[in-house]
Amino acid sequence: MVTASDVEVKLKEKLDAADVTVIDTSGGCGASFDVAVVSDAFNGKMLIARHRLVHDALAELMPDIHALSIKRCWTKAQQAAATQQAAPAAAAAGTS
Amino acid sequence: MALRQAGFRSLRAAGWLPQQLQQLRSFAVVSGDDSHDDFKPKYKQEPVAAEDVDAVIKQDIGSNKVFIYMKGSPDSPQCGFSNMACRILDAYNFQYGSRNVLADASIREGIKSFTGWPTIPQVFVRGEFIGGSDILMEMHKAGELATLAEELGGEAAKQQ
Repeated sequence: MVTASDVEVKLKEKLDAADVTVIDTSGGCGASFDVAVVSDAFNGKMLIARHRLVHDALAELMPDIHALSIKRCWTKAQQAAATQQAAPAAAAAGTS
Repeated sequence: MALRQAGFRSLRAAGWLPQQLQQLRSFAVVSGDDSHDDFKPKYKQEPVAAEDVDAVIKQDIGSNKVFIYMKGSPDSPQCGFSNMACRILDAYNFQYGSRNVLADASIREGIKSFTGWPTIPQVFVRGEFIGGSDILMEMHKAGELATLAEELGGEAAKQQ
């Protein structure tokens, strides 16, 4: 069984991610995750290429993961811009 | 819309089965009996021979401006992600073809190796793989799909 921390560790390790959020949406069986990644490995890459990097990072786990929803692939600069822009809305964003 | 639904019912009642696996957007999946799609046996249709899978995929994405590999059909999706992708495409009135990967194990695996993408749905525009449901959603939010809809609308008008 894959756990959220397995996914988190892999993403941090392979993508040198500054920030990783993994939510297990499987209801306990460990087959479904929502992920959000902040990494400078995404610099200058189109969204599809960023998703491919995430898939590649999780390649070893993917056979046991049924559903992977990639919510965000941000560079550090994008994250900084988003937090600055949405400072008052930061709390609200956390709940969405 | 009413015509469409009446059409399905009469087809179903007549026990008519499509010869082609590929369905255009305007046709629902037609099963031979009255049972819901959820309860029908898996991989009922003739499997596509493994060596033909790439040819089938190239045919699908080459003959449709927009094409989706999904679980279920646009009218009865069998997965939330596939459903979301179809609803986004519908919102822009895209004319799209689809193929149900649950109907054929070799297509299901074949499409994953064709694109090197591990998840379903997979969306193609003008023969090019653009991504899955998350990417479609991001393109929708970024206004890229509106641009694409205009382009495709323009191309269709030119052809007529």
